[in-house]
Amino acid sequence: MQMARLRILAGLTIAALVAFACGGTTGTGAIASPSAAATASPTPDPIRVTLIGSFTGQNADLGNWMWNGVKLAVDEANAAGGVNGRKIDLIKYDDQGQPTIATDLAQRAISEKTVMVYGANLSTLSLAMIPILTAAKIPQITSGQAPALLQQNSPYIFIDSTTSVVFDQTLAKYVLNTMKLNSIAMISNNGTYGKGEHDSFLAELTKAGVTPTADKVIAPDVKDFTAVLTEIRGTNPKVLFIGAEEVQSGLIAKQARSLGISATFVGAAPIGTPTFVQTAGVDVAEGSVMTSPYLSNDTNAKTKAFAAAYQKAFNSEAEFHGAKAYDGMSIFIQAMKKTSDLSGPKLIEAVRSITYEGLLGQFKYDEVGLGLHATQIGILKAGKIVAQ
Amino acid sequence: MIYFLQTLVGGLGMGAVYALVAMGFSIVYRTMGLVNFAHADVVMIGAFLAATLFVTMHLPFVVAITLAVLLTAVIGLGMERILRPLESKDLNLMLIGTIGFGIMLQSVAIVIWGSFGIAVPTPIPNVPIDVGGVIVTTYQLFVLAVAGIVMLLLYLFLDRTKLGTAMQAAAMDRSAATAMGVNVSTSNAVAFAIGSAIAAVAGALVGPLLYVNPTLGVYVGIKGFAAAILGGFGSIPGAIVGGLIFGLIEAFAAGPLSAYSELLTFVVFALAMMVRQTGIFGERTVDRA
Repeated sequence: MQMARLRILAGLTIAALVAFACGGTTGTGAIASPSAAATASPTPDPIRVTLIGSFTGQNADLGNWMWNGVKLAVDEANAAGGVNGRKIDLIKYDDQGQPTIATDLAQRAISEKTVMVYGANLSTLSLAMIPILTAAKIPQITSGQAPALLQQNSPYIFIDSTTSVVFDQTLAKYVLNTMKLNSIAMISNNGTYGKGEHDSFLAELTKAGVTPTADKVIAPDVKDFTAVLTEIRGTNPKVLFIGAEEVQSGLIAKQARSLGISATFVGAAPIGTPTFVQTAGVDVAEGSVMTSPYLSNDTNAKTKAFAAAYQKAFNSEAEFHGAKAYDGMSIFIQAMKKTSDLSGPKLIEAVRSITYEGLLGQFKYDEVGLGLHATQIGILKAGKIVAQ
Repeated sequence: MIYFLQTLVGGLGMGAVYALVAMGFSIVYRTMGLVNFAHADVVMIGAFLAATLFVTMHLPFVVAITLAVLLTAVIGLGMERILRPLESKDLNLMLIGTIGFGIMLQSVAIVIWGSFGIAVPTPIPNVPIDVGGVIVTTYQLFVLAVAGIVMLLLYLFLDRTKLGTAMQAAAMDRSAATAMGVNVSTSNAVAFAIGSAIAAVAGALVGPLLYVNPTLGVYVGIKGFAAAILGGFGSIPGAIVGGLIFGLIEAFAAGPLSAYSELLTFVVFALAMMVRQTGIFGERTVDRA
C-alpha cells in the first residue's frame, strides 16, 4: 500500500519533470544558421529579423498566420533586392504559448543581434517580452491587440492592427445603434486578450448607459461552460458578447446553442476566423456579428493581390492575421530602407515617420505604438464574412 | 433549482468521460500494479483516430468509433509488447517506459495531424430537450449511454469470463496465478488492450464536446487520473464513481468562481484526498506492493 502510493508520487514527479524538460528543449529547438563567413564575404551581412510565435498548442493557428504574413513580406522584399542591397534573414522560434519560453527566446534573439522582433501572437507573451526588448533597445511589433500593450511607456513596442478599445467601440456602437439591441450578456476569459475585450466592451456599454444582463468571466483553459451559460440563459439576452480566443469562442457558441440560448453572438476578430466557424459549426456561427480591420480578401485590388500571392506561397487562403502581419512587416521594411542606421532608436524613429496605406487601412504610428485607428463590421453568412 | 439541475446534467456528461479515462488507468493498475502514464495520450490518439475517420473520411460515427477503438487497442497491445522486457526487471522502469511512450505518441500525433487540431461536429442532431426548464442535449444522452454500456461490458468481462477471472487472480498473486496455469503476460497484454480501447471510447466521445488537438490528453488525462485516485486507484466501481464526482465538482466549481474553476476543482480534490487517503473505494482488489 505505502509503496504503491510512493510509486504513484514518484511517477507524477517524473512525469512533471519530463514534461518540463521537453518544453524547454523543443522551445529552443530551431537552430540559428551560423552567420555566413563573416570575414571576407563579398555580399553585405544580412539583416537579422526574429519572429517569436506559437507554433504548437491551442494557438498554433495564430502563430502560423503571423509567420505566413511576415514571411511573404520578407520574401517579396528579398526578391526585389533586399534593404539597400542587404538581404533580410528571417528566423522563427516557437514560444509554445508559454510566457517563460517567450522571454527566454527574446533574450536569445538579443544575443543573436536581431534588428527587430516580430511577436508574439499572444498579448500575454508580448507583454512579458517588452521589458527585455525595451532594455536592449530592440523594436518589437506584436500581433497581440490588448490595450495593456500600449500602456507600458515603451517607445519600442508597436501593434500590427489596433487594440480591443477600437474594435469594441465600433462593435458596441453597431449593436446599440444599428441593431438597436440593448439586452446584452457578456462572457469573456481572464487572459490578457479576454480581459482587454471585456473591459473595452463594458466601457462602451457603460458610456451608453447600458448594463449587461450578465457579465461572466471564465479561465482561458476551461472547455465546459455549462454552469456560466446556464446563468446567462436565465437572463434571456438578445446578444451574447464573446471575449475569448478562436477555439474557446467556438466552444462557447456551440455549447450556448445546445443549451437553448438563441442570442446573436458578437465579438472581435476571433469570431470571423475559420477556426471559430469550424469549432462552433456553420449553423451555430450563422448570423454572428464580428469586427475586424480586415473583413475579406475581396475588399480591394491590394487585398486581392495579397490573397493571390499568399495562396501561391502557402497553398492556403489568406485571412486577417496574415494580412496584418504582412502590413506590419512591410512598414518595418520600408522604415529600414529609409534609415541607413538600423539601431533601435533610429529604426523606431523611421517607423513613426511613415504613413503607410496597407491592407488594413492607413497606418500612422503614434508615440504609444498604435498605428491603425478604425475597424469594420461583418456578419457571418454560411461560414463566410459579409461586409456591412 | 434549475441552475442546480442544469449544472448537474453538464457535470455528469464530462464526468462520464472522466470515468472512462479513470477506468483505463485502473484496469492496468489493478492487473499489473502499474500506473500507465501514456494513458492520457492514448485517449488523445483515440480521439484523433475517431475524428479523422468521422470528419475526414466521412464514415458514420458509430463505425468511426468502433474502428478507432480497435486500432487503439492494437496500439495498447504494441505498447505492452514493447515495454514487456522491463516488467520482469523492475516495474518502476516500466512506469518510466510508459512516460516515454506517451511523449512519443504526442510527437507522432503532431507529425501525422499537425498541431492545429480538428474541430469535430456533433455526430447526431444535437437537439436540446427541455425537461422542466433543464436542457439536456441528445449528444449528452448518447455519451452517458455509451459510457454506461462500456462500464457494463467491462464488469461482465471481469466477473463472468474465464480470462477476466484469471486476470483478477494474476492481479492478486502473480506467482500463485502462474502456478495455477494463468499466463500473466497474456493477462497484462489484455489489460493494456482493454485500457486503450476504453481510452479510445473516451477520446471519441469527448471530441465533439471539446476540440481534438495533441494536448487533449493533458486536459482530459490529468482529470481522469485524479478521478481514479478519488475513487480509489485500481478499483473499477471507484473509477466510475470518482469520474462522475470529479465531473460534478468541476461543474459546480465553475459557477461561483468561474475564473478560477480549475484551481477550485483541484483544491476540493486535495481536501477530499486528505480526508480519505485511499479514495472512496479504497484498494480492495489489489494489494501487490
